[in-house]
Amino acid sequence: MATANMKDVKRRIKSVESTKQITKAMQLVASSKMRRAKERAIAVQPFFETLFNAMCDISKDSNFTSVFTAKVEKKKTLMIVIAGDRGLAGGFNVNVLKKAAAKAEALKEKGREISIMAIGKKAVEYFSKRDYNVTDSFSEIAEGMSMYGAMDIAEDVAARFKKGEFDSVDLIYTTFVSALTQEPCEMAILPVENLTSWADTRHATPIYDPSPEEVFEGMIPTYLCGLLYSAIVDSFASEQAARRTAMESASDNADEMIGNLSLMYNRARQAQITQELTEISSATLNDSD
Amino acid sequence: MTAYNLKIITPEKTFFEGTTTQIIAKTTSGNVGILHGHVPYVANLVSAPFKIEIDGTLKEAAISGGLIKVSPEDVVVVTNAIEWADEIDVARAQRSKQNAEERMKRHESQKEFDRAEKKLKRALNRLTVAGKK
Repeated sequence: MATANMKDVKRRIKSVESTKQITKAMQLVASSKMRRAKERAIAVQPFFETLFNAMCDISKDSNFTSVFTAKVEKKKTLMIVIAGDRGLAGGFNVNVLKKAAAKAEALKEKGREISIMAIGKKAVEYFSKRDYNVTDSFSEIAEGMSMYGAMDIAEDVAARFKKGEFDSVDLIYTTFVSALTQEPCEMAILPVENLTSWADTRHATPIYDPSPEEVFEGMIPTYLCGLLYSAIVDSFASEQAARRTAMESASDNADEMIGNLSLMYNRARQAQITQELTEISSATLNDSD
Repeated sequence: MTAYNLKIITPEKTFFEGTTTQIIAKTTSGNVGILHGHVPYVANLVSAPFKIEIDGTLKEAAISGGLIKVSPEDVVVVTNAIEWADEIDVARAQRSKQNAEERMKRHESQKEFDRAEKKLKRALNRLTVAGKK
């Protein structure tokens, strides 16, 4: 019995060790991807400030109106939900999807029609399995996200909003707070709100070519594109951070298991030696089975 | 000619920050040249070549839409994507051109068609600037 047990324990140690190698590798990959994604997420800041300031400047113009800022009663909402393409990232996907689903239910109760744009394989799978109207789905785009890709989506959203397919757009994604904390968050992106809070009064009114309204409308796809791009990059950084943490604790657990199993193995070995010694000294054959 | 400050910002990075004597850009109402002392001016840019004069020579870049904002102290261009002529990935632009053309031929829906058309315009713009149309 003792020998068989020892073999089992040895095999388990080996298997845990190879699992640990995998989790360790995933942890390293995730942490380097996270670093790069974080840099990309930070680089978006100046772009937004400039664009948002320009939008605020336009909205100060006394005769300015636009369908993109009009406050109407909201009836149809497009929810853009961004989750990851892969699992094994702790609570990352679950948290953001739960938040999105809760929000969708709350809006439905208010009598709004909800349609969903799912970005990331996990989001696509989640919403298409449930009773939701998924109008668009994008998988496997986050990692190699380029501006051109974001622009396609942004132009499409802007055009459909203008046509009246929906009257508000909400964005739900995970934001990178720190390497250890990532929080799912929501953001109303259309109609554009709170424009005046950022405005400054340094300059005289510039010439808008051809008109403030048209310039503003022309900016909307750029604005949306920047928003989408930064949300996708932010979400990707969060996913990597979550995966890194999850894999780190998996590696730690593996270490602990290896420790316990080694102890078990050594005890069994010692027991066997002790038994052999007893057998020799008492010169009897004493099989414990 | 007097030089002025120009800043070109994309979501990925600050593409250009420095002085120039003249820029030529295409807005929704046509080409405009901006020299020092231009009146405050804001307009949307369309996908087109974007020229910046540095040390007496015009350098060309491909811009994909955006916004130009001229104020007394500087000129700021905000765009989703801009690339110098020699930085353009020609093979990739060719691929996205072909892809857009195929989608336009299939003509599945007006929405798809419009999207493909915009994509084609951007790809053609990049190829024109790279000089490999």
